Amino acid sequence: MLSMKNISMVYRTDLVETHALREFSLDVDEGDFVSVTGPSGSGKTTFLNIAGLLEQFTSGTYELDGRDVSQLNDTERSKVRNEKIGFIFQGFNLIPDLNLFDNVDVPLRYRGFSAGDRKRRIERVLDMVGLASRMKHLPSQLSGGQQQRVAIARALAGDPRFLLADEPTGNLDSQMAMSVMELISDINRFGTTIIMVTHDPALAELAGRNVHIRDGRVSDIGEDTQIVAAAHG
Amino acid sequence: MFNYYLKLGWLSIRRNPLLSALMVAAIAVGIGACMTTITVNYLMSGNPIPHKSDQLFYVQLDNWDPNVQSDDPLEPPDQVTYTDAMALIQSAPAFRQVASNRSGLVLEPGDEDELPFNVQSRNTFADFFPMFDLPFLYGSGWDDDADAAMERVVVLSRETNERVFGGEDSVGRNVRMNGMNFRIVGVLDQWHPVPKFYDLTNGDFNDPEDVFIPFNVAIEYQLPRNGNTNCWKAPDGEGFEGFLNSECVFIQFWAELRTEAEKQEYMSFLDAYAEQQKLLGRFPRPLNNRLSNVVEWMKIQEVVADDAQVMLGLSLLFLLVCLLNTIGLLLAKFLGKSGDIGLRRALGASKPTLFVQHMVESGLIGLAGGVVGLGLAALGLWGVKVLFGDDLEYLVRMDWVMILTGIGLAIASALLASIYPTWRACQVAPAGQLKTQ
Amino acid sequence: MELGPIWRALMRNKIGAILIALQIAVTLAIMVNAVSIIQERARLMARPSGLDEHNIFHISSVGFAPDFNERATIEEDLIALRGLPGVVDAFQSNSVPLSDGGWSMGLQTEPGEEIDGTGVAVYFIDEHGLNTYGVNLLAGENFSATDVDWRQRSEHEWPDKTLITRAMAETLFPDDPDGALGKAVYINDDEPITITGIIEQMQAPWNSWSGVERVMLVPQHTLFGATRYIIRTEPGRRDELMPVVEKLLAEREKGRIVRSMRSMDETRMESYRGDDSMIKMLKFTVSLLIAITAMGIVGLASFSVNRRTKQIGTRRALGAPKSAILRYFMAENLIISLVGVALGAALAIGLNMWMVETFSLTRLNAWLLPVAMLLLCLVGQLAVLGPARKAASVPPAVATRTV
Repeated sequence: MLSMKNISMVYRTDLVETHALREFSLDVDEGDFVSVTGPSGSGKTTFLNIAGLLEQFTSGTYELDGRDVSQLNDTERSKVRNEKIGFIFQGFNLIPDLNLFDNVDVPLRYRGFSAGDRKRRIERVLDMVGLASRMKHLPSQLSGGQQQRVAIARALAGDPRFLLADEPTGNLDSQMAMSVMELISDINRFGTTIIMVTHDPALAELAGRNVHIRDGRVSDIGEDTQIVAAAHG
Repeated sequence: MFNYYLKLGWLSIRRNPLLSALMVAAIAVGIGACMTTITVNYLMSGNPIPHKSDQLFYVQLDNWDPNVQSDDPLEPPDQVTYTDAMALIQSAPAFRQVASNRSGLVLEPGDEDELPFNVQSRNTFADFFPMFDLPFLYGSGWDDDADAAMERVVVLSRETNERVFGGEDSVGRNVRMNGMNFRIVGVLDQWHPVPKFYDLTNGDFNDPEDVFIPFNVAIEYQLPRNGNTNCWKAPDGEGFEGFLNSECVFIQFWAELRTEAEKQEYMSFLDAYAEQQKLLGRFPRPLNNRLSNVVEWMKIQEVVADDAQVMLGLSLLFLLVCLLNTIGLLLAKFLGKSGDIGLRRALGASKPTLFVQHMVESGLIGLAGGVVGLGLAALGLWGVKVLFGDDLEYLVRMDWVMILTGIGLAIASALLASIYPTWRACQVAPAGQLKTQ
Repeated sequence: MELGPIWRALMRNKIGAILIALQIAVTLAIMVNAVSIIQERARLMARPSGLDEHNIFHISSVGFAPDFNERATIEEDLIALRGLPGVVDAFQSNSVPLSDGGWSMGLQTEPGEEIDGTGVAVYFIDEHGLNTYGVNLLAGENFSATDVDWRQRSEHEWPDKTLITRAMAETLFPDDPDGALGKAVYINDDEPITITGIIEQMQAPWNSWSGVERVMLVPQHTLFGATRYIIRTEPGRRDELMPVVEKLLAEREKGRIVRSMRSMDETRMESYRGDDSMIKMLKFTVSLLIAITAMGIVGLASFSVNRRTKQIGTRRALGAPKSAILRYFMAENLIISLVGVALGAALAIGLNMWMVETFSLTRLNAWLLPVAMLLLCLVGQLAVLGPARKAASVPPAVATRTV
């Protein structure tokens, strides 16, 4: 379904050239649950931005559902993000001035669904994450875990091709983290493809497959496991 | 502590020069507009003779047409007749009194090569000079005897004396007007009351007259009048005599009454006089005599032009818009400072302390805005003068009262505008802003 | 267009919106009233005086010498003036339209003390007056030379004939203005005077007087000591002839001074100077006000955009194209502007009602309000365009930043 081949990302300033990703390749099939791990500065965020079509890469190819999305203009990229990708951010990124209903509504509005259609979808996904009763509440009235669940609902509302999660439990305590991870696992069990970026190896283990990035490249997971093991020592 | 706040305020202003400049500009523009119109209104309504304005009274007698209104319904005419003026001068009990009007005369300078030129003359009585406190450069006014004897004496304005005699002491010399010689008894110093309160029937902000001569002389020689003459019926008699005896009003009348008792006494006299005239067939309307002090008279004559008041109102609203702008700018500024505030709170500053600190900062901005605003107001006043011409020359000057008012208004406005943003900024929880996310 | 969520979001973060809406409201109120005043003054200033203004000037003559023979001087002055090449005609009068000083009397249709006369401005003219002013005679006849006599200073009787303006005829005889011709009216309560002609238009000296169009002309030369000559030149020759006339008169007779020479154009300008200045001040104020409000919107909108950078990035990540972000902020601003102009309309009307009450201003023109409201909404949209475009250029990658 998703195929990245030899993606390179180079940031150039007057003084410095940074290679955030080097010859990075990744194939993801329908229904996969892939975790992408790596230490800080390894290029995880860059990968995330590129996979999510948030940034354009320097070289390589990216195919999504058989379509080459490398050279799309901004409007076309927005459309693809809107229709095919569901984002889950570390900081939840809910809009504080909108209630839960309106928050989940945001991506649906850009889709052009009818009002009735949107309402059905929103109610369905909020129910799925167990927050239907609090539809009219503001994010500030929810705990961190609940906010992330709303964010997940928002990501699912448009029936995306895959979820792209960035440290989904990074801002949560262990108990909330567990419940969110359970939710994500459930979603994958129901058939949704998930790509999750994380630095937590315990989290990574929940995924079916792991890709490890180091210095912008896919690296042998072996090297880092030792370091990680030593840190947890 | 206040000095500390001043220092903090100054540092904060410096740190954000663009934002601070915008705030100062917003206040300055509003203050500039307001102070321009406030100054004009203030000067227009200013008391030109504050130390005795409540002892000088303008006299009105109602000799008018029973069938029609003169200017306003129920208002007596704004001048008096010759008959009544003379009667009052003769017998009314006042500390001082004057009747006066204006003439246009032609002055022939002694020098043959100089062309004759037109001068405005105020025809009045001896009491005029002490009553209105005219300052003398040389000599003095004339006395009651000169009035009675109809002596051809004259007091020159400073400017006239400059023009004709080069500014020298010309007392005792003669000046020729309308073919007659007048002996100079005095020369005035600079005198320009704003407004020209002693004659509000002929231009509230005009220059004072060029020469002053006895009223009786002007009448005796039938010098051409230069003012408003209103008659509600044709004179009964013929010629100038007939005119003097008619109900035509053309004279302004003032009385100086030093105490309330004197005022009552004078009023009683007016009423008794009016009753007496009724018996002679005059004063057909109901008793309606008036004594208005300077400030009252200025109000009745509506010296402060409507347009000036309209502009004042509009510029106050303008200031409001500028203040709304300032509130917005302050909100933006304080949002950026939430880290600083959170830190200070964590270190023990209480909300009131922080509130005061930021109000001081706003006060500084207000002060700066006020100073710049006064500069803009000066520009505005210059613009007003250009637009309206030299008539307004004396209405576009800033005195200390106006300067302090401007600064005060600026600071008050800045403080007012900053109440909400400051309060909101101080609500920041002590630790809330210390995280990096 | 997501108007519902935009509105709900605004409601939860009202302050910025309220500030802009209030600014727009007060600006509208000021703007509408200022323009209303400007319109009224401009209307006043545009009123014609009835004269051939561009080619007319006047000059005062004040006698002072003890042997000054006013009558002879006037007669000879007029012959000299009328004989100048380039001068169409000239006459002598007591005052001039729009000069702010002059005579007024009352005329009534029935004799009697108890009747209230109609105020009218009086000009003394001779048989050359109408031609000098370039005034049209609608009905009746001009004065002839024999009609014109000489009026002493304290005389209070009037000639038998008068010419009045059409406006005066309409006031005196509202049912039959044309029938005024030939009728007798009464001056000074019971002295009859016959209307022998009706002229099209002439204004009184006082431009703010309600009776400014009511004028009566009487055939008399005045011997008041000071007088005014009114001179009409051939088109284009006024400026050249003014100094010529001044010199002519000054040299012809030394027992008087000539002064205050003014063209009618200058007289009109002086007469309306206050109104003209008011217009200029108001125009300046309104322009400044709009500029300040526009800048205020730019500032507050920029602030508002900055505060929501994270949100904008998130929306982009969720699939909003740049145009959607632009439209969001434009729509948000439009909603605020609409609230602002609605409130402003109420304020404007209230302010106008108060000013009509207090200063006798005129009521504002109905169409002024919607035009101004539209204009301010447009200004607001233009002002927010910059910050909205900056918002649209926030990159989607902002959503994944953790700082």
